[in-house]
Amino acid sequence: MKKATFLILVYFLINSSFAFSQINKKADKEIKKVFSIDNYQMERAINQNFEDFLSKRLLSIISNNQKIGYAYLGTAPSQTKYFDYIVIFDDNLTIQSIKILVYREDYGGEIGSKRWLSQFKGKGLIERFKYRKNIAAISGATISVNSITDAVNDILSYLTSLKTQGVI
Amino acid sequence: MKKTILTFLTLTFTFISAQESQQLNSYQQQFLNLSKLESGLTIGGYGEVTYNNYDSGPSELDVQRLVVLFAYKFDDRVSFITEVEYEHVKEVYIEQAWLNYALTDNTNLRAGLLLVPMGIVNEYHEPTTFNGVERPTIDNKIVPTTWREIGMGISGRFNNLNMRYQAYIMNGPLSYDGVHKLKGTNGLRSGRQKGAESVGSDANLATRLDYYGILGLKVGLSYYTGKTQTIDTSLIGSQVGLNMFGLDARYVKNNFSARYQYINANLSDTKQYNSSSGKDLGSQMGGYYIEAAYNVLPIGARQRLDLFLRYEDLNQHKAVDGIKKNLAFHRKEWTFGASYHLSKGSVFKMDYQSKGTAINNSDAKGQFNMGVGIFF
Repeated sequence: MKKATFLILVYFLINSSFAFSQINKKADKEIKKVFSIDNYQMERAINQNFEDFLSKRLLSIISNNQKIGYAYLGTAPSQTKYFDYIVIFDDNLTIQSIKILVYREDYGGEIGSKRWLSQFKGKGLIERFKYRKNIAAISGATISVNSITDAVNDILSYLTSLKTQGVI
Repeated sequence: MKKTILTFLTLTFTFISAQESQQLNSYQQQFLNLSKLESGLTIGGYGEVTYNNYDSGPSELDVQRLVVLFAYKFDDRVSFITEVEYEHVKEVYIEQAWLNYALTDNTNLRAGLLLVPMGIVNEYHEPTTFNGVERPTIDNKIVPTTWREIGMGISGRFNNLNMRYQAYIMNGPLSYDGVHKLKGTNGLRSGRQKGAESVGSDANLATRLDYYGILGLKVGLSYYTGKTQTIDTSLIGSQVGLNMFGLDARYVKNNFSARYQYINANLSDTKQYNSSSGKDLGSQMGGYYIEAAYNVLPIGARQRLDLFLRYEDLNQHKAVDGIKKNLAFHRKEWTFGASYHLSKGSVFKMDYQSKGTAINNSDAKGQFNMGVGIFF
């Protein structure tokens, strides 16, 4: 009994020191799932001359020396904290998946719902999302719902401008 | 045994050093930067100032509550949340004060002064989150909002199942501290201890499940079980058993929104409690409310104007044991009005309430309310 308790404690202590590697692992898992691949590389999608904040968050996903899509790593506000998310696009810049990687408070955590996030799936650059119109509300999570919806709209606008400039 | 632990620890440390010596690529570096973002203190708050104009008698104008919220993040897994509340300008309370430890993505350990997860409004009580100047009557007379006591437990979510769960061992309402506290007219309300030098004789259990797997809909199930608290457990009639069940639903689709809440509480040993105290506590209390609202402003506009209608039927004497039912405790109330959300987080409210009872031929009492609410 004592031994079991001790081992459980040790397990949690170790576990709790790896918040960062967990984010990494979760993004990795999602990318592999979306593209049904076991191996891939990531690199910055835009050349280093673009030094704006957003460009550092946009990465190309490369498998077998071929670009198969993009990942955008974002941070957005919830009620009192920030949460991290990943938006995965295919090569045509159609949203394949959005996943909340770390959500740091209780209120609004409903946005992690797989069902709710699937509303963004399959939508391309011309799409714009509007709360309560083509994005369903979640009672008790209004702030976070608006936050991720606005964030995705901003990413789509940003990618549209990059595409018009011929950068991606 | 020692050997096992040693092997385990060795493996663990090998694992850690392998992790640390790993070179970070740009993608991992991004994540590292992300998790470094934000730590420390967040300040928020909410409050409401209300005006109640009754059919007869003087009106009441009140700064009902002003609450300052502090959240402190120690690291990605440990945070502390508290709400300091001023009620009616002059009374200071702590509404929440708990430490949260995120064990895994799906599990949090939580301890301190916690809200009882019962019904909708007890957890979501900020004035911009509900219609009506006053909270629903059932959330005053049956669920004694803002109901909070000291306790500890677990909470978390399963994103794949679209579910949230909570389970806490908590202190309960006080029924006897030399004086009998609970009475028919407001049920458990006078027994709230609010974590202030509270008496603990029996641990209670509070649980809740939320399901949000259908777009626009959120359904909650709450269950609370235990006993009220007493300073003398050997004194017959100084405590009652308590089983409370709640079912609620919230639905939002485009301009339309609606909510429903059902609460039922069974109390045992009320016969002894009433006969030794001369009180009139019911052995079963409960009721429901149903509300519909429509936003008349276009979707996507900066502001929202919700017109709403609510009906409540609640009874603190649904059943009694050894006393006579008081029909005045069976309330039937209509509320209609408007919530004008001037911006996200600020609202101007106005409504009219007609409050009737089950007494034959009794006139319903009318009440006009106005109020401002903020939440940031």
